Amino acid sequence: MIAAAKAGSVEAFTDLVGGYRTRLLRFLLTRCASFADAEDALQDTLINAFRYLHSYDPRWRFSTWLYRIAIRNAGKLHRHDVVDLTAELGDLRDEESDPLQQCIADSESENLWVSARRLLNDEVYAAMWLRYTEDMSVADISNTLDRSVSWTKVNLMRGRRALENELGGAGNGNEAYG
Amino acid sequence: MDKLAERLRDDAARIEVDVSDELDRRIEASLRAQTRQAPAPQRPPARPPLFWWASTITGIAAAVAVIAIVNLQVEQQPEPAVPVDLLATTPRIELNAEAAMLTAPLHDELDRLQSDLRKAEEKVRRDIGL
Repeated sequence: MIAAAKAGSVEAFTDLVGGYRTRLLRFLLTRCASFADAEDALQDTLINAFRYLHSYDPRWRFSTWLYRIAIRNAGKLHRHDVVDLTAELGDLRDEESDPLQQCIADSESENLWVSARRLLNDEVYAAMWLRYTEDMSVADISNTLDRSVSWTKVNLMRGRRALENELGGAGNGNEAYG
Repeated sequence: MDKLAERLRDDAARIEVDVSDELDRRIEASLRAQTRQAPAPQRPPARPPLFWWASTITGIAAAVAVIAIVNLQVEQQPEPAVPVDLLATTPRIELNAEAAMLTAPLHDELDRLQSDLRKAEEKVRRDIGL
């Protein structure tokens, strides 16, 4: 399928990325200021993936490569820029306009990813997402974020601690990485 | 799986998103536009290892040939001897002696010294080929 997509087949490429679209959109939604931005970021990600598919190295997981492109595209629509801007305008952004909040089913407790977005910086947030929703290895996360393995291990641990503190020290915080 | 990991996984699943048909159509149209604009660049086929060996050997052979040609063209010609008139260039040594003040033995000694000096001068000239 990858060979056919590399040869320029749109159908093969669509089949190849079919299983990743929703997962990528969910991830991008947590990093973009609006649902429309997340959709644009997904579109750019898939177009860039198609355009640069020839540079994909099969030694790495396809999802690793795809997420790497997605993170770069999401960086162009950096949510912090929007948050800073709205803060200057008097915090016009509220929970109702938050695309992530809009897409979360009602629940008694706050979605932990909303807390994570508040507590962690973008890179640590992405590392946590890739680890706990995509089951990526530390090596794959390092490669996706273009960071060292030790950086990834340390920041996964910090991310966990921050979330555990938020939850009131419910977790054990002793998961070993690598 | 620990409690936190489980909670993170569950909460991620609670983020309800769906790729709309409109977005699907938009993405597909963009992909098709990409193929029309420029076909996906193909990596040039890898050259066989023999190609690199052949290139290396050809390069070395060419370098050796150039060095050989350059060395053959430069003949070892002796430098042409340029005649130098040493008599004209060498200052003559003036031997001024005041004979009136000399006694006879000293005069003889002076004659001998001058004779030795002349011999030495001739020998030098002979040695330098004049």
